[in-house]
Formats: sequence, structure tokens, C-alpha cells
Amino acid sequence: MMPGWLRGLLVLLGVAGLFAVPRITGNEYVLALGVSFAMFSVLSGGLNLVYGYTGLLSFAQVGFFGIGGYTSALLVTERGWPLEAGAACGGALAALVGLVIGYSSLRLSRHAFAIVSLSFAFLCMIVARDWVSLTRGAMGIPGLPVPVLHLPGWSWRLSRPADFYYLLMGFAVIAQAVIYLVVTSRLGRAMRAIKLNEALAQSQGISPLSYKLLALALSAFLAGVVGGLFVFYLTIVDPSIFDFYYTETMLIMVIIGGPGSFWGVLGASAVLAALPDLLRFTTDLRMVLYGAVLIAAMLVFPGGVGGWLQRRALRRWRRPRLAAP
Amino acid sequence: MRRMRLAVAVAALAALAHSGFAQSQEGPILIGASIPLTGGVSMFGQHSRWGAELAAAEANAKGGVLGRKIEIDFQDNRCNPAEAVKSVTQMLAEKKYVAIFDGLCSSAALAIMPLVERAGIPFVVANASATSIAERSGVGGNKWTFKVNPTDASMLDALVGWLDKEGKAGNIAFLGEDSDFGRAGSTGLENALKKRNLKLAGVDFFQKGNADFTPVLTKIKARKPGLLALYAVDADFQNAIRQWYGLGGGVPLTGRVLVDQVPKEIMESGFLDGTTSVQPYDPSVDTPGNKAFVEAFRKLHNVPPILVSFESYEAMKVLIDAIRRAGKADPAAIRDALVTTKMPSMLGTVIDFDDHNLAHNNAIILTIKGGKVVVLGMSKT
Amino acid sequence: MDAGFYLQLLLNGIVIGVIYALVAMGLSLIFGVLEIVNFAHGEFYMLGAMLAYFLTMNMGLGYAATVVVVTAVAVCLGYVLYEALLASLEGGGFERSILLTLGLSMVLQNGAVFLFTTTPRMVQTSQSYVNLVVGDVRVSLMRVFALALGLLAFGALYLILYGTRIGRAMRGVAQNRDAALMVGIDPRAVSRLAVAIGIGLSGLAGAALAPVYAVHPLMGFSFVFKAFAIIIIGGLGNVAGAAVAAVALGMLESVIGGFLPLVMVDALVFSSMIAMLLLRPQGLFGRGVRV
Repeated sequence: MMPGWLRGLLVLLGVAGLFAVPRITGNEYVLALGVSFAMFSVLSGGLNLVYGYTGLLSFAQVGFFGIGGYTSALLVTERGWPLEAGAACGGALAALVGLVIGYSSLRLSRHAFAIVSLSFAFLCMIVARDWVSLTRGAMGIPGLPVPVLHLPGWSWRLSRPADFYYLLMGFAVIAQAVIYLVVTSRLGRAMRAIKLNEALAQSQGISPLSYKLLALALSAFLAGVVGGLFVFYLTIVDPSIFDFYYTETMLIMVIIGGPGSFWGVLGASAVLAALPDLLRFTTDLRMVLYGAVLIAAMLVFPGGVGGWLQRRALRRWRRPRLAAP
Repeated sequence: MRRMRLAVAVAALAALAHSGFAQSQEGPILIGASIPLTGGVSMFGQHSRWGAELAAAEANAKGGVLGRKIEIDFQDNRCNPAEAVKSVTQMLAEKKYVAIFDGLCSSAALAIMPLVERAGIPFVVANASATSIAERSGVGGNKWTFKVNPTDASMLDALVGWLDKEGKAGNIAFLGEDSDFGRAGSTGLENALKKRNLKLAGVDFFQKGNADFTPVLTKIKARKPGLLALYAVDADFQNAIRQWYGLGGGVPLTGRVLVDQVPKEIMESGFLDGTTSVQPYDPSVDTPGNKAFVEAFRKLHNVPPILVSFESYEAMKVLIDAIRRAGKADPAAIRDALVTTKMPSMLGTVIDFDDHNLAHNNAIILTIKGGKVVVLGMSKT
Repeated sequence: MDAGFYLQLLLNGIVIGVIYALVAMGLSLIFGVLEIVNFAHGEFYMLGAMLAYFLTMNMGLGYAATVVVVTAVAVCLGYVLYEALLASLEGGGFERSILLTLGLSMVLQNGAVFLFTTTPRMVQTSQSYVNLVVGDVRVSLMRVFALALGLLAFGALYLILYGTRIGRAMRGVAQNRDAALMVGIDPRAVSRLAVAIGIGLSGLAGAALAPVYAVHPLMGFSFVFKAFAIIIIGGLGNVAGAAVAAVALGMLESVIGGFLPLVMVDALVFSSMIAMLLLRPQGLFGRGVRV
């Protein structure tokens, strides 16, 4: 275990390093990978909160992401809202929808929630494609304008890729900080207790439903906001934002990083968002490999990298006590 | 092993950081293509690749361009704008490509457009069908995007004109996939009919991957339309056409029907006689250029070319021709050369771009007569 | 609208419903006995259809023999699937089973795309384009074959579940796992057989539908989500409920599809499933989702 101050320093250095990247290199591809990492880290971090900490397998994350994207794009283009209001509204709507599907299915069981979350993601795709008067259908909304962010005393026109890098990376850092605060606080301990043994947690006076809903709403909000920001980087939002491929990628990040391991999932997001592209990894078989990794993880490595590190730490911690009778 | 992989990653990063000046004057001229190589439409991506590669191979066989070989790098975009942005940003960052090619799906092409504008590199669209691409190009704003294939709107206008002459445009039912392809088809038909004070007799959409069409086909059959405009591709098309036959639809098709993919048995039965279709291309077009193309393509891949292979082939030829006329492998010079394109098409016209950087090649009107596909004629779009 | 129109819609619906049932019953059986949601179920349907394509079109095997071979292969695949992957999950968590079978589905689906591309393939038999016509009502002969095969499978499954010792044991495990253990039922043997039958039904569905629908690697993907909705509506783990719900849904879809837009029908399936979970979580026919 490294001391707390050292860990804090490392994190500060890491964040400073991330923000220094656009000053070091003008290479837009490096920035694109950074944006992709920032986006995926928020999505997988939220999924980790819901699945890794609270134990609810959710397929709805991509739905929240898309709802945020569509809401923000429509509010900014049709109503002329500023970006921050559009994205916040997208996040809020996603959280609200998350509460509705969570409240309705979680009263029954975790199983019902998993299946409802899956159907929800498919319904989102159908609405995006076929409710043309609302979402403009399969054509999507192309040519999103260069957005302007109004911060107190400063308005920021996001015209260059570096601007989006700063924006999304900044939001990702805030989102990760929020997730970290939640999982290390009493809230996080209660969530873990619910995952390990719901009945026991209940007997300790923890109300599982409200913690589950909190985790779900928070992850939905974060996913919605990141969706609302990301679509302006792409300059288009269309139904492929609900692609099941995103769900698979997020799940792999959480599984490899280790469900319930904050740093593990963050690391896995960084590696999986960048490495396959950097290595020009064969796209043909990437999903086959991801699937195989998923199978292997479930059979032999259910805790992921994070779980493995934790087990190792636990063993080391236990060893001296066991050695001295 | 793990250390080695890390070393490779670090090396790749380092290579990326230093790749800014890699543009060599000696090696091949590089073109970057972003197309779906995985996912649901990867079959079209494959055909686009084959078409473009054939055009490049032909140019290279004649000694290349400006004394250098043409080489195309294909990157996967899954038909998803986010992946398209990533793949094209990667190619643009390497600064060794002289042009970006295709995108294939409209949403991918639309997402690529701002990138090429910022980077100042020409982007040649071969297959994407959305009208908004040309609306935003040339005088519409984006000076770097060029669309070689005709838009649906202009092709369908030609088709409806043809049908109207024969008095058959009044009672068309529409069934299409709920994608940009299907939506462009229904609006294109509606607009073309509106000009002649006519309307569609019914509009239905289905989700891609839907296997059973019998409910909606039964509904359409009961409406007794004069023609059915069917906008389906791939497995959807095969399912729909077989089930329409099974239900004894008794109504010929229209729209952008893939007449070359109708099963032989159905075609020969005469069931589809009277079908009138419009396509930017058909393998049976009787010109020497097309015959040579079909033969060369078949020899390489054992399958006949489809629309996508043709569009990518000709669009790549347009691009190569522009590079030759530009006289140097420089993106801005190539863009200027593209503007003044005057290249003969194998369809018998001359490809040139209007002020929206849109080419107006011939559309082909086909019909099925006595169980055989007959080219009725060509119509400038 | 005349009577022929409604009859045609009903007939289409019955065929679609029986096709749904073939896939959904196996899914429900596996859930009932093992409490596992098999995400890869649709991929076995796809593999069955692919195999049927290669047997008939490339090896020149007759259609009847093809159906038998494909079903037998699928049953064996089911055994292998259980022994290699699912056995280790026994009692080990619903979420893990979903992720494991999702991984399997990704491997099979993307592997098939890689090997065979997404080009649609058509199984052509001499009867492919033969239609039965009674008045205004028409149906293609291959659909009638699929319908007959489906009904045959219903019958066989009913005989196994209600007429044999192992079938009764299977139902016992599905109804009350602990009680079944107490009376000495070997859960491993029962689970293995349940998976084999479930995958076998999926393979049979693939072989039955290969001449009806175009065969391609993505055909299982959209199908299986509908099957999820069906087993929830029918009551998770309730095989007969799944069959009834499937046929009912097929007919409902067809009749509604005769009047409303087709995409509304797809939305309807998922919304009715969510509504069912809210109003009657045990499903139409009992034995609900258990914690």
C-alpha cells in the first residue's frame, strides 16, 4: 500500500500530464484518442458504479449516453441553448429515465432489471430511428454547430479539437472524482454491502432500493452529460450512438479492470480506448477476441485485474498473521 | 511478453509523435479510405474496397501517376460516425495521405466532412446517399468534399418521370428499411410525385434485420397498389422478395430495386414482369467500358460487381484523374483539379461537378420483361 | 377488408409464432433448470441454419436428412457447451451467466462474420418456390414444413417432459431446485440434458428456417431479443408458457402488423414485456423472476 500523500501526488501529476498533452503535441490523433478515453472512462466508470459496486448488470448505459447526446443536440440546434445547459439537461433527462426504469424493475429483482435495461437500450434505438418528428430518424442531426460554453466571466468557443480534448478530459476528471468520492464514502460501503449480501445489508438498516437508484441515477447523469458533449465533437448525432458495440466495449472495460475496482476500470478504459487503435490491431477479429476475453474472465478471472491485485494485497496482508501461530 | 507489448505501444506512440513530416516524394501516393469493414454492412465495405482497388491497380498497371504508384489504406468505420472520425483523424494526423475516400455510410461521410475541411484535404464520396452531403458542399460551404454518385432525389425524379409517362406513377406503395437509404427513398419519391400532383399510396418502414415481412406484405397486397417501391438490401431484400412471391403479391416493383439480386427462379417465373427500377448502375449496361470492368472484377473476385463496387471504382478513377491533372501529390492542388474534372464515365456521360461539388452521372432505368432485365434507357440526373 | 385478408394474417401469425416458440422454449427450459439466461441462444439458431445451408447446397444432402443431422449436431453442441462452460457456473450467479454467454455470442457471431461475411445465402430446394393456395389464402410449402417441424418438436418436448423419468426430474428442478435435490435428483445430469435439448431445439429451428429465411451470420442476433421478451411474458422458466406466449405474440404481431406500421410492432413487443414485468412479474403463466 502506498501512503495517501504519495497517491494524491501521483494523481495530481497524472491529471496535470493529461492536460499538458495538447501543449506537447499538436497531433490530432493523439487528442482523438484522449477524447475517446475520456468518454469511455466516464461510461465504464458509471457502469462500474452500478455493476461493480452495487451488483446490477446494466445494458442501459448506452441508452443514457444517447439520450444525453440527442437532448443536448436538439436543445442547442433547435432552441439555441448554450452547450452547458443542453448537456446538463441531457444528463438530467437520462437520470430521470434511469430512475423510472430502475424503480419499476428493481422492485422485482436484479434479473428483471438486467433484462429491462437491455430492452430499454433497444427501445432507444427504435425511437431514434423511427420517431422522425422528434429525432429526425435515421439521417440523424448532421452539421452540429461549433458550440459555445458560457462559464462565469468567460465564454469559450470550442472550435479546435484541443478545445474538445480539454472539455471532455475536464469533465472526465470531475466525473471520476465524483465516482471516487462516492465509492470511498459511506455510500460506497453500503453499495458494496448490498452487492455482497442484500438481506444482511437490509438487516443493518440499509435500504437497498434507494442506494441502487442513487447509483443508477448518478451513472445515467454522467453518461448523459458526456453524450451531450461528445456529439458536438463528432458534429453529428444519429441512431448509431445506441450501437450495441459500445455496450460490449464498456462491459469489457469493467470486466478486465475488475468490477468494483476504481483504478482497475480506469486503467482498463485507458488501455482499451487507445491500444487497439495504436497497434492497428486487426479489426476483423477484435470482437471475437473481446468475446473470448469475456468468457475467460468469467471462467477463471472473475475479479478482473483489479480483483487480482486486491486478492494479492489481501494475501500479503494476511500472511504474517497466519505464519505466527 | 507483457514488456514487449508495452515496448511496441511506446514505439507506436513515438512513431505517431514524429510522423508529421513523413510525406515522401519517392514512395507511393497514399489515399486514405474509411469504410465499414466490420459490422452489419461490411459486405458493402468489401465491395467498395474491391472497386477502389481495381481502379488503383489499373492506374498502376499503366505506370502509376506522376511516376509513382497509387496505394489505398483502408480503415474500418463500422458505419458509425464516431469510428469514422477516429479513423480519419488518425489518417489526417499522419499527414501522408493526399485525399480521403468514401465513408460509405451517409452519417460517416457527414462526420468526416468537417475534418477534411479543417485539414485542407479533398474528400471524395463514392457511395453515401444523403442529399445533405451535397447541400453542404461547394457553394454550400465545404470546399473539400466531392460527391460522385447521384443523389436519390434526382434519380427518383427521373424514375417518376418515366413512370408518369406510362401512367403508372399514381398508385405506388412504399416499403423500405428505416435507415438513411430507406428514408431518402421515401422522401425522394414523395417529392418527385408532389411535383406531378401525385402521392404515395402508403409508406411502411421496417427495421434492418427483420426476417419476416409477411404481415406488412399482406397489408400492402390488400391495398392493391399498382407498384411496390421496395427499399431493402442484402438479407432483408432476399426475405422480402421471396415472401412477396410466396404471398403472390402480383404487383411489380419499383424504386431502387436490386434487379441483379432477384433469385433466378422468381425472375424467370415472370412474376416481377413490369418492374421498373432506377439505379446509378447495373452490371448489364451495354458499353465497352462496363463490359471490361465487369470482366476484370469477376476475374479477381469470382462475383459480379454490385452498385457499390462500381461507384467506388469510378469515384477512385475520378480522384486518380485529378491527381494526374494536379501534376503534384498535393492536397490543395488535387482539390483544384477535382473542381475542373471532366472524365468520361463508362455509362457514356462525362463526369463533372456542379457548384455543390456534385456529379450528375446517368441514372439507369431498368425494367423486367419476360423474366429478363432490360435497360430501358439512361437519364441524366 | 375481406375474410381472406384476416385468414392470411392469422396463418402468417401462426407460422411466425411457432418459429418463435422453437427458439423461446429452449431458452426457457435452460433458464428453468439452470437459472441461466443464454445470450448465445440466437447464435446456435444461426449456426444451425448455416450448417443446413452447407449440408444441402455444398454437400448435396437431402433436406430431411439435413434436419436430422443439424439437430443431432446441435444436441451434441449443447452437451459440450454445458460441460465446457456452463457447468462451472452452477449456482454461481445470474450476472456471470449473462456475461459468459454474451462473450460466447460475440465470439460465434463475429467469428461467423469473419469466416462467411454477411452475404445472405439462400437454401434452394426443388420446393422452394412452391406455394399452397386455398382461395385467397396462400402459404409457401417450406413454411408449412417449418410449421410441421415446429409442431413435431412441441410434441416431442411434451413427451420428454411429461412422459419420461428424466423429464419429470427436469420439471422438478425447474419448479423447486432444493426440493429436487432432496429427493435425490442429480442436478448435473438434468442440467446437461436441459442444455442439450435447448440448443438442439435452436439448431432444429435453424434447419427448419434455412429454406424460409435468408441465412447470414447476424440472423440470430435480432431474433434472440424477441425470445427474451417471450420467455418473460410466458413466465421465466415456464416452457409451456413460453410456447403459448410465442404463438400468441406471433399472431398478435401479424394481425397488428396488418394495420399498424411495422416498427410499432417491434416497439410493442418490448413495451409489452416491460408492462408485463410491472403488472404481473410472474409472467402470464406463473413462476416469475426469482431473486
